[in-house]
Amino acid sequence: MAYGTVNADVIQTSTSGGILGAGDASAMKNRIINGNFVISQYNGSSSVNPTDNTCFIDRWKATIYPTASKFTVQQNAGSVTPPVGFTNYLGITSSSAYTSGSTDQYFLNQRIEGFNFADLGWGTANAKTVTLSFWVYSSLATTFGGSIINSAGNRAYPFSYTTTATNTWQQVSITIAGETTGTWGTTNNIGALVVFNLGSGSATAGTAGAWVSAERYTATGSTNLIATNGATLYLTGVQLEVGSSATGFEYRQYTTELCLCQRYFEQSYTYGKTAGSSTDTEAVVGNAAYATSTTVLDYGTTTFFKVQKRATPSIAFYQSNGTANIWGYSPLGNYTTVGQWINTNGFGFYTTVASGATTNRTYMVYGHFTASAEL
Amino acid sequence: MYKLIEHTNDRGTSKTILRLSDSTYIPYDEANTDYQAYLKWVAEGNTPDPAENT
Repeated sequence: MAYGTVNADVIQTSTSGGILGAGDASAMKNRIINGNFVISQYNGSSSVNPTDNTCFIDRWKATIYPTASKFTVQQNAGSVTPPVGFTNYLGITSSSAYTSGSTDQYFLNQRIEGFNFADLGWGTANAKTVTLSFWVYSSLATTFGGSIINSAGNRAYPFSYTTTATNTWQQVSITIAGETTGTWGTTNNIGALVVFNLGSGSATAGTAGAWVSAERYTATGSTNLIATNGATLYLTGVQLEVGSSATGFEYRQYTTELCLCQRYFEQSYTYGKTAGSSTDTEAVVGNAAYATSTTVLDYGTTTFFKVQKRATPSIAFYQSNGTANIWGYSPLGNYTTVGQWINTNGFGFYTTVASGATTNRTYMVYGHFTASAEL
Repeated sequence: MYKLIEHTNDRGTSKTILRLSDSTYIPYDEANTDYQAYLKWVAEGNTPDPAENT
């Protein structure tokens, strides 16, 4: 064989004989992060009553309007056996029998960053077809809705899916023709939102299976989970990929998935421990601060993040006993800590003490922090 | 409710915004969704507590 020539037969998987490529063998096949809900930095496996526009499990946000407490969310709620190949799922449980108003918005969503969406070419003549697939399990045998929508809320593709039997895992696949119009983020902003509706009103519903120039979060005629007290909806294996058919879920190494999530949120706590919880017996972040006067201590070194953030993050501080906004400044005591000099790589801080600091002396500083750069 | 924060040291002056409801420090970055929410709050006619430069 001449130098520089490569001969290759078709590469096949060892189990099914299916041809790799066109999705199966590519990196970044799945544009959804934490689609199998294995990463849960925010709340571990605790049940939470989410608040509007906040993440409750990594990369997944709840939109809640106008009033909260209509549903709870929990990793592995109900402790059912996940589909083969999965160990985790997201469980949503309705908290009441709520009749949604026409403009109500109750849904889960993942906001895909533009950098991970730009190659789809949406908003151009070269827009690529995508397929959304996921596993679903519900106490209701009915038709639910969702949508893919841009951040401006003026281009949406409502979809519906049917649970044909109660309390049974089944896989859903929805193919969506790429949208050639509208604005879809291509940098560190929102590329698109993938929405699973839970209780949005009729004014936010549109015809399933067609693009519409309007803010639509669900399909007309679909069921609202929160209309039935105690109803459950479990999801896992959420994947959005290029192409007109669903392929196998893209499993990622745990560390890879965690790092992908930490581009948007990280905390100094032990994995899964809620911010603000007591960690008096656990490690905390240690740092140094120097006294610029008898009452002001400035940070001596930057606290660096594990992963560079999508944007400059918001920072919150916690004392090791759980008290918010306090760090320890040994041996002076515990004081309010002010976040400053924040960038995508880390942050500094300062504090004001009553008195007693020795100018130009360095003090040990310790506590916990959270850093959020969610979309 | 928000409070503006300014701090000056030998590296210069840095500014953040303190969200009082949960003691979170928000940077002036238009890509930060908390800052976007702050701008919306201001656009609605609200005014943050002024900074006390330290």
